[in-house]
Parts: sequence; structure tokens; C-alpha cells
Amino acid sequence: MDLFKFLWTGVKEQQMLFGLLTGFALFPIYTAYADLPFWNDVAMRIMLLGMAAMGLNLILGYGGMVSFGHAAFVGIGAYCAGISQFYGLNNGWAHLGLSLGVCGILGLVISFLALRTSGIYFIMITLAFAQMLFFLFVSLEQYGGDDGMSINRADFMLFDLYNPLRLYYLIWSALLIISVILLFIVHSRFGVVLRAINNNESRVEALGLSPLRYKVTGYIISAMICGVAGTLFASWQEYVSPDIMHWSRSGELMIIIILGGLATLAGPLLGAVVFFILEELLPELLNLVAPSYAENWMIIFGPIMIFVVLFARGGLMGWVSRLAARRMSDHGVGQ
Amino acid sequence: MIATVLDLVNLNKSYGVLQATADLSLSVERGQIHALIGPNGAGKTTLINQIYGSEIPDSGCVFLNGENITGLSVPKRVRKGIGRSFQISNVLTEFAVIENAIIAEQARRDESFHFFRPAFSDQDLIAGAMIVLERVGLQKRSGDLVADLAHGERRLLELALALSGTPSMLLLDEPMAGAGFEETLHMTRVIDGMRDNVGILLVEHDMDAVFRLADVITVLVEGQIIASGKPDEIRANCEVLAAYLGDEE
Repeated sequence: MDLFKFLWTGVKEQQMLFGLLTGFALFPIYTAYADLPFWNDVAMRIMLLGMAAMGLNLILGYGGMVSFGHAAFVGIGAYCAGISQFYGLNNGWAHLGLSLGVCGILGLVISFLALRTSGIYFIMITLAFAQMLFFLFVSLEQYGGDDGMSINRADFMLFDLYNPLRLYYLIWSALLIISVILLFIVHSRFGVVLRAINNNESRVEALGLSPLRYKVTGYIISAMICGVAGTLFASWQEYVSPDIMHWSRSGELMIIIILGGLATLAGPLLGAVVFFILEELLPELLNLVAPSYAENWMIIFGPIMIFVVLFARGGLMGWVSRLAARRMSDHGVGQ
Repeated sequence: MIATVLDLVNLNKSYGVLQATADLSLSVERGQIHALIGPNGAGKTTLINQIYGSEIPDSGCVFLNGENITGLSVPKRVRKGIGRSFQISNVLTEFAVIENAIIAEQARRDESFHFFRPAFSDQDLIAGAMIVLERVGLQKRSGDLVADLAHGERRLLELALALSGTPSMLLLDEPMAGAGFEETLHMTRVIDGMRDNVGILLVEHDMDAVFRLADVITVLVEGQIIASGKPDEIRANCEVLAAYLGDEE
């Protein structure tokens, strides 16, 4: 029956997501074997970026709300860890709890105000809120201001995070839990309404549902996920500064989502992997050709993004699923 | 006893100097199809919008089942029992037919605010959605994407979505617009089959369909009712012929 066609597309995407998660779970074995412990650090950063992008994708991809300030929530999450530690509270679980609470409340306030508008105005208002928070932390001298503050890795009681693999698997577990939660949410009744609002808001109203309620809730969930990513990011970096809530970081999250595939679960994670590979690879390549331009790797990255937007509709995930569909029809499956 | 579902009392709505609705009063009874006809720009859709809640009248009241709903938002009115189809098809184009109906079904049951209960794989919701699709004869297209539907089928889906909330008052804004002959016939039968337990306000340009379906016809010109009555009376009314029917002949 044709209904299975829809379930099947869902399954394929889940395979991709859990494939990536398995890859991250096994990656430290490879780095231990190849004696490249530095790459564990890289993988952690990718997972954290991917986590934040997955959070943003809930509203950007599924809900169609272009929030151009989500790095602010990552930053708030990080400062929840940093400022708590400044006052002597080093319990990681408390940091996470605080981060969820603060990002939830901020998400509620910001979205409730910003969602009075839509389109370009919504983008600008979310950016304005993010800039306000950015400059707030720049001006807070006691917490390091512009220079930021050095912190210790949080104390997660059972795990000593100074054992590098413990931090790695803490981040991995958080990513796994968030992936499973998002997997449920996007297929839930709430999730389909959020997607329906993206498709046709007036139809959702005509069904007797108030779109604002769903959009605000989606925004809050998305802000909280970014907050968790930020709190863990603080432990990874052992340093918190306003830099992680700069508007260009928000742009980076959006680029990762568009590169990986809007409104897909695996897309942001895949996008984070590819984004990072390109970020490492392109300067190396430029270094070979024109050494003085190596730092301007965005010159190459820009056209690649344009190419993806124009030709690989649905990002890398769209491309992967089209390839899979073609292979299926070549083998006469699914006809 | 005749139950009045919809009661409009002295509605006024103007845009600048243009009076779109002029002191208009009208009521629709349960089981009755009330057709609203008139030339383009007569204020038919504006009137529908004021009942639906997407536009607010400057003065006057809208009563649904005796309750004043003039100040309520669209979603609240829908939950009180207003169902609507739009002039231009308004369905979830990126979803399958059954998925449209499933979202409507979960909205009707007020079970949408769940974060872990699945939607499209829930057998209970699917069953409810199929019943609605069967009412308009779309059950065979349930698995297809809305993007693959013919124009007439989209109109039917829209009708199904309007019906799924078990409304007491249906607002149908040109349901036959753009439909072919066969589609119009089918649509007429479907609408005819819905009239029990619901009041219907029908805006339609297809006069054959209007005269076949309507129990009462109201003629609207420049926001005012110029005639209202049984189809035969309206047919005989010269003023109407001049204002509206005459234009076409």
C-alpha cells in the first residue's frame, strides 16, 4: 500500500541517523588504534555543533521559522555552566538543569514576542534578541566580558570528565537521547501539526488549532536543545566567551542545516560532519595552490553552498535519498 | 421546532468608502442550504470571512447556536462548530491525502498537543480519517500526495477537512469553482448528502448547482440583501434578473 511509501522514507532517514550515531560511538576505537587522539576532540566538536543544529532544525526545517539567533541559546547554555562555576557550583547536572530552565524561559519570551511577526521581520527580531544577549555578555566584566572566562570541566559525579573518553561518551549519550526525543517529536501529533503549519498556516487554523501555541512550544524545545549543547560545549572547551553567541555562529548553524538537509533528522548531523571536513580540507587545498589565500577558504565554500542550494535540493540528505530511490527503482524494488 | 444555527444581526463592514457589508441580517437553520449569490464584488466572501473570523465586522453580531461569537478567533470559532472551504483550494499540499485527514481528525479530538504519541501510524486516527474521506468519495486516493490530485479532488479534500470537525455550520465559498461538469455533479451530490444536522451557507456562481441545492437563496448586491426567498421566488424576481442573472444572458 502507498502508505508504506511514507513510512519507508522515514525509516531510511532513521537508518542514516543511527548509522551516524554508531559511527561516532565507534570513532574513538579508530583514533586509539591509529593513535590520533586529537581527532576525538574534533569529533566532539562536530557532535556538539550537530546537536545544536538538530535543535534549530526543529523550528527552521520542520516548523519553517527562520530563527537567526539560535547561537544565543548555545551561549546561554555555556554561560549557565560558566557562571555557576564562578559561584562555586560545579555540578554538571545542575548546570544542565539550569540551562534547560533558562533557555526554556528565554525561548518562551523571545518566541512569544518574535512570533507576532513572520518572514523577514521574524528573522530580524530573533537576530536582534541574539545581539542583545551577545552584547550583554560582552559588557559583563565580572564574567570576563569580551575575553570570556576559563572554566573547569563540570563535575558529573559518576563521570570524571578529565578522562577524555568520558566526556566523549557523555556528549555522545546526550546526542543519542536528543536524537531519540526528536525522532519521537517529529512523528508525534505535535510534530505533524508543526510541519503542517510550515506548509499552510491558514489551513491549520481552519482545523481549529491555534498555530502560535505550537510554534512557541517548538521554539522552546529547540532553544533547550541548543542550551544543552552549549552547556556541554563549555566543558569541552574549558572556556566560555561571548564569541559562541556571535551572529556568525547562528549563521554557521543555519549553513550546517541547509547543507545537510532541512527538515530531516540526520541532515544537521551529516551537515556538521561535512561542514567540518570542508573547514579543515579547503584551507589545506588552498595552501597547495595559493598559500597566501589559505585562510580565505570561504571563497571555495561559498560556491559549494550555492551549488548545494541550487542543485542538491533537500541538501545532502535529499541527494542521498534520491540516490537510494534511483537504486531501488533500478532493482525493480518499490514499483 | 426549527433550530437556527447561524444568526447574523446588523453586520457592517467597510473599507474606506467601500461598504462591503451594509447592515446585513440573515439566519441559517439546521438542515438548510442557504445560497448566497450576487455579482463579483458584492461582498459574499467578505461576509463569509466575518462569520469565519478572519475579518471582524465594524459593528453587528454573529451568533452561532445562540452564542455570540463575534469576538472569537478563527480556531476558537472552528472548535465551536464552524467549518469552512475556501475559494482557492486550501489544503496541506506537502502531505498525503490521508495525512491531511489525520491531522484534521486529531484536531477534532483535541489530541494534537502530544509529543510522543505517533500521528500518521496511529490506527485509530487512520480509521477516523478514512471515514471522513469516504464521505466525499476520496478513500481510493488516500495514499496519494495532495500534489498529485486533480483540481476537483482537491476541492473534495477541502470539503472533507471542513466536515471532519463535525461542524454545525458549514461555509462553502465557491466549492465548484474551476470544476468540470462531472466534478460539479459529484460535488453537488456530496453537498446534498451533507445537509442533515448542519446549516450550510453556500456561495456559488454555478446557477444550476445553486438552484438544485438551495432551500433559500439570498441575493447580495453592494453589501446589501436585495432579495431573499425560495428558489422559485428568486427565479421570478425581475430585480434579481436585472442585477445578476441578466448579466449572463
